[in-house]
Amino acid sequence: MTNPSVLEWIESTRLSIAIREGGLPYPIIGGIHLLSIALFGGALLITDLRLLGLVMAQRRFSDLWYQFRPWKRLGFVTITATGLLLAWAEPVRLYGSPSFWVKMSLFALVGVHARVFRAGVYGHPEKQDAGISSQAKLAAVLSLVLWAGMVLAGRLIAYDASFEPTGN
Amino acid sequence: MNSSEWVFPIVQSLHFIGFALSIGTIAMVDLRLLGVGMLRQSAADLAADLEPWTRLGIVIMLTTGPLMFSTDAVAYHFNPSFQFKMTCLALALLLHFTVHRRAVRPGISPLAAKGAAVISLVLWSLVVAGGRMIAFI
Repeated sequence: MTNPSVLEWIESTRLSIAIREGGLPYPIIGGIHLLSIALFGGALLITDLRLLGLVMAQRRFSDLWYQFRPWKRLGFVTITATGLLLAWAEPVRLYGSPSFWVKMSLFALVGVHARVFRAGVYGHPEKQDAGISSQAKLAAVLSLVLWAGMVLAGRLIAYDASFEPTGN
Repeated sequence: MNSSEWVFPIVQSLHFIGFALSIGTIAMVDLRLLGVGMLRQSAADLAADLEPWTRLGIVIMLTTGPLMFSTDAVAYHFNPSFQFKMTCLALALLLHFTVHRRAVRPGISPLAAKGAAVISLVLWSLVVAGGRMIAFI
């Protein structure tokens, strides 16, 4: 696989070199990435588990949705921002990593998922207050599978043969 | 676990999901204690609702963590980041099962509740940060 020259340009930027070879920046950005996973993942898990009736079942779904959404959004923004920085540091390696492409494909599916279930579930959370629809339960299960898959694929990037990280 | 290249990252992923569940739900209660979110129910109600999931997350963490430790116990034992992480983890767990449980009760002084929330957020963040540093130091 030949590397597009744009990737080599990215690796030559000062920001990329600073993150990749600066010592502390890489694990610090990785640490913030993980903390964001805790924030986003916690809010996501609770929201999805509520749709499945497994947590806070006595509270209305819309109540929960509006309370957790800002934190989910904050977590999503910081995951994406730190993820971009980590990718900016090692674009050539990531380009050659199958797990990275699996992760990005799942990320694209997350976008599809949000769009598909917006009309029936996420766009009108009040509709679920009387009773959770089977469509909403399906949305919750798929959401859990997609995000768990992203965690696993993300972790596997460090183990891809073509990838030689400074740490695991 | 050392025999298959797949097992370690799978266990590690479960570890991540475990801490998202435990630390994520603890953070939600902390944000409620700080008065910046989850305001539609009391801190006591929120904590009671989320506690089973927090504990499930802790159980997953404390199962997958030692499994990973067992693959290279000596190296982990002498790793400064690991030692730092374990110290913070012990303090964070102690806080969670003592001070944190009292902080959500009605009638507690708001200042004490906020103090407990800040210490909880800082300790759990250090646990995650220390964990990330293990591979680098």
